Amino acid sequence: MKISDRFVIALILLLMVGIDTANVASAQTIPSKNVASPQNIAFESDIRPLLDRYCVRCHGAEDEIQGDIDFRFIKTKQQIEAAFELWESALGLIEDGIMPPADEPQPTANERAQIRRWYQTRFITDVAPHPGFFRPRRLSAHEYRNTLQSVLGLELDVLIREAEQTVTEKSLVMKLLPTDPPGPSGFKNDTSANPLTSSTWEQYTYLVDNGLQRLFAAPHRETLESYVGPLVENLSQDQAHQLIRLFALRARRRSVSDEQLQSSLRKLRDAAPNDLIAVLQSELKAVLMSPTFLYRGLLMKAPRDRITPVDDFELAERLSYFLWADMPDAELLRLAEEQKLQEATTLHQQVDRLLESPKARSLAIHFGVEWLTLDEIQHVSNNPPVADALRNQPIDFLHYLFTNNRPIMELIDSDVAFINAHTAKYYPSDRSQLPKYKRPTGIEVERLPNTKIALRQTPERGGLLTMPGILAMNKGPVMRGTWILERIIGQNLPEPPADVGQTPANRRGENLTFRQRFELHRQNPSCAACHDKIDPLGFALQQYDAGGGFRRSPKYASMKQKTRSRNRNQQSLEPDDLDTSGRLPSGETFQNFVELKTLLVTTEKQRILRNVVQRFLCYALCRKLEPADRITVDAIIRKVSQGDATFGTLIHAVVDSLPFQQTVWKSIEDRP
Amino acid sequence: MTWRIDRRTFLRGTTGPLLPLPFLNLMGQTASGATAAAPPTRFVTLFKPNGVHPPSWNISGGSEFDFRTSPLMKPFAHHKADLLFLDNMGDFGFSSHANSTRRFLSGHHRNTKSASVDQLIANRIAGDTAHRSLELTTEGLFPNQIGCSYISYGTDGAPIPRESDPQLVFDRLFRSPLRDPVRRREMTSLLDRVGDDARSLSRKAGAEDRRTLDQYLSVVRDTEKRLQNLQTQIPNNRNSAGNLERPSAPANLDDQVESMFDLIALALWTDSTRCITYMLGNSNSRMVFDFLGITEQHHYLSHFFRNFSRSNLDSLLKISLWHMEKFDSLLNRLKSYRDQHGSLLEHCLVLFGSGMGHSDNHTATRIPIVLAGQASGRLKTGRYVRYSKNQQLSRLHLSLLDLFDIPIDSFAETSDALPGLSNSDFQPYREIPFESWVRHEKDTITVQGRLRLSDDLDEARVFYVDVENTKAIRIEVAFRDFHDFNLAYHCGTPIKLTGTGSKQGDHFLITKITDLTPLHGNKPGSAAG
Repeated sequence: MKISDRFVIALILLLMVGIDTANVASAQTIPSKNVASPQNIAFESDIRPLLDRYCVRCHGAEDEIQGDIDFRFIKTKQQIEAAFELWESALGLIEDGIMPPADEPQPTANERAQIRRWYQTRFITDVAPHPGFFRPRRLSAHEYRNTLQSVLGLELDVLIREAEQTVTEKSLVMKLLPTDPPGPSGFKNDTSANPLTSSTWEQYTYLVDNGLQRLFAAPHRETLESYVGPLVENLSQDQAHQLIRLFALRARRRSVSDEQLQSSLRKLRDAAPNDLIAVLQSELKAVLMSPTFLYRGLLMKAPRDRITPVDDFELAERLSYFLWADMPDAELLRLAEEQKLQEATTLHQQVDRLLESPKARSLAIHFGVEWLTLDEIQHVSNNPPVADALRNQPIDFLHYLFTNNRPIMELIDSDVAFINAHTAKYYPSDRSQLPKYKRPTGIEVERLPNTKIALRQTPERGGLLTMPGILAMNKGPVMRGTWILERIIGQNLPEPPADVGQTPANRRGENLTFRQRFELHRQNPSCAACHDKIDPLGFALQQYDAGGGFRRSPKYASMKQKTRSRNRNQQSLEPDDLDTSGRLPSGETFQNFVELKTLLVTTEKQRILRNVVQRFLCYALCRKLEPADRITVDAIIRKVSQGDATFGTLIHAVVDSLPFQQTVWKSIEDRP
Repeated sequence: MTWRIDRRTFLRGTTGPLLPLPFLNLMGQTASGATAAAPPTRFVTLFKPNGVHPPSWNISGGSEFDFRTSPLMKPFAHHKADLLFLDNMGDFGFSSHANSTRRFLSGHHRNTKSASVDQLIANRIAGDTAHRSLELTTEGLFPNQIGCSYISYGTDGAPIPRESDPQLVFDRLFRSPLRDPVRRREMTSLLDRVGDDARSLSRKAGAEDRRTLDQYLSVVRDTEKRLQNLQTQIPNNRNSAGNLERPSAPANLDDQVESMFDLIALALWTDSTRCITYMLGNSNSRMVFDFLGITEQHHYLSHFFRNFSRSNLDSLLKISLWHMEKFDSLLNRLKSYRDQHGSLLEHCLVLFGSGMGHSDNHTATRIPIVLAGQASGRLKTGRYVRYSKNQQLSRLHLSLLDLFDIPIDSFAETSDALPGLSNSDFQPYREIPFESWVRHEKDTITVQGRLRLSDDLDEARVFYVDVENTKAIRIEVAFRDFHDFNLAYHCGTPIKLTGTGSKQGDHFLITKITDLTPLHGNKPGSAAG
């Protein structure tokens, strides 16, 4: 086992260093995913009987399907592999003694070990590195918006007055295209589960018409002339050709020959001078409605059925959509054309260049917002300038971490904050660093940019977890704890049972705090399974009120108490509710959130790192991770940990990773 | 039926002509589908946000046929013969922005489960027009009080999304690829082209690529099929005027609104729709009218008592005058589009107005409401109708429903329609005679007389009580008193007022109010409105 591990690491490192990458990879055919091994335990002979004995009574018997898990339907090799996350969580529950429930027959120690060995072999040890199969992907709405804008060189906006305190959708694309649901990876750029529909197709045609109309209208004459040179009277034949070449290059995001364009060029040549613009527009429209524009990857060239590096243009696209959510710019396209992008030095220079561009803000705006559910902050205040201020805090912070090569653990613990006049009240001792703001006469509330300040005397802030918007968007200790567990530590929790009910109020004569009543309420072992993990995290934040404010002193409590009669049911306003101590499942204890934060950046560091790496990889690959990706994740974690564990190192490592750089082009469909 | 268009329409504005010459041919052309029967009556609403400065808006004195328009009405006063001025509309002492906006077309702010009056009318008159109604606006949503952003509500009382971009409205009205034969042909050839692209890729594709391309091709085929079906179903239609020129991108709010008016007139004239509501802004609007040289937000300025300065008030009046000019502009458009039955305006009912009267105190009395157009002879214009009592807006709405032959007994808690729209069967406002006097004892002054707001713009915070044979008693109080005793509500009516003050030369000055009693018992409702 040791040897095979070492071999894998060596292979990964080899691939990352990029020495002769192509040769190493192309020499290899697709490895079988399930190599026989001395410890191999077959599912049907060794695992199925255990499932039948201990699990299916609740998870697969006739009409009792608990937790939406039905083991009867996992039969084929594909189904077993597709359920890898299920096996992982099942193993955890079995080893923690939570499943099967205490009043059911229990597996023996040997049987448990047998399950563990099967999992270990099947999903860790015997999994060979594999980049995942190549799959073309439709642009998500925001990628489409950015790409169309880059091709046309102009923005499609909606005419609407933007008064302060109103919300408007300025982008015509975002207004007309349906909102993308997050894909299986949890990110919107994973459009694999979101097929093209006729109505979307119609919106595309409308948007393209709209864009071309603008390009040829007087106000955008300069843009058009920047593509084809000065216009005399009308567009000339040459200029029309020039434009179709430029658009085809941009829209296909790879070089294109006149031969490939011959039908368009012929139509232009055949057009009467008066019709030239109309013909050109309809040819341009065809380019922008072609699947090669709407999808990524349809034009990639690669040998079939073996691991192979993606071609230069595909690599350029992967890079630009990862860091910019936009098409490659001229420099990337040129490097791809010259086949220089695969050179490690060039590639890493490009990563740095892309990260320095203002477009790299898309990492925070899309990746960051979707990962951390920051759109929820919009509901915290119905005053848009205030809601914006609260939401922009974590976005500016993430942008700073991602693009300034900050340590990953600064997510949790940082001495920097981004504030404006709307959020300054949360930083009373450090707000003096904010330039004085004087509201202009006659303006009631306005949107304001953030200023970066150093947190010198605000120990209660710093890091994502105590940002007011994030505290306020998660209502109550359970939601706060769940969010930290899922989004930061990376542990997926099952849905709570439907019949949990409310935490009962104090009965006459009882004087229990919310926390005490809540703990009584969830003593049931099946609740404890998750709540032992959630509650310590959530209750540690009890010193922050529902709006994200910090309860500074006992005086705060007595002040709040006045409103108590009106808000009797608001758990967070109870003054005696400030028991912020807790114990993590690992055994460490803490007295308050500051101590918990120390634990998070030390003992929990590995888990948080793993989560961050997985999220980055999902977003960069636009797909859910598979068992084979575990090797990549481990390798990235190792690489990041060896270095300074910064976001910069992480982003470079993701770009270097096997699935980012390589692929397998599958010629035959698997049997379903 | 013959549609004719006035050539003057094309000579307007900074945004250039809307219609190219080929369209002029339509002026003599017989439109298909229309019969020689009477033309439809249309309903158009123009909403002006944030109330008014009452002394500048209110008509003082006069009678039904003999009255002078107010300073703010000046921009559209030349349409007097086509207008019906309604006064004493609204019956709430105070009103929030959101509630007053809801009431504008829904009658009562508690009427949250039924459609607004425009939608009920649209249901009745839409016939087979392509668009049952259009809901238009100029600015984004105001989430702070979301009710400020809507006047039109659907059957379940849910707000109807609004559109603000003239180009998008134009495309929706006249460019639907599925309605227009030219666009249909273009679409068909595009489908051929991209279908070929996809098929040629598919021949070289791997498994995953092929799955994606199949998805794409099935959408292409689906669209082709629908186009074929349409070709057989929809005959050429005058909505599909492929030769109409799209409005160009406007430079500022004024251009934007003018473009929208072009489209409103054109949409009605081509019978694409018969019901349109248009908000010149959200109530509570924070818009900055930079193109008028104003740097403060509209809502801030509208609170002209609290934020008084002569220049603030001037800015507010400038904005209000602009709103009035836009109403004028809409009427000009509707008059210039004609057919053999006369102008569009003759077959329109236009409702123009705001949700509140006094813009600082949010008094919902004497709300600006003007009706325009003859509604095919149903509305008797050229009159000033001041009702004897404050009227609920729902009564007006019930009358409008009646006017459009909608059989409905009650609307928004009213079953009593408002008289006076089609004839003079209303009870006009008459002042009951009363005695006026003033008494002065130490620093306490008691005065009985008619209250009015100063019409001197330099002292917009000052009120007067007129007393016979004496110089008017001047009332100059803090916002608290102005608000608590609701001076704005009692303006124009006789009251007895006691306060602290002194004699200043030849007149009395009251600086603190201790009591205010209306002589005829008119009291602002205590219920929050």
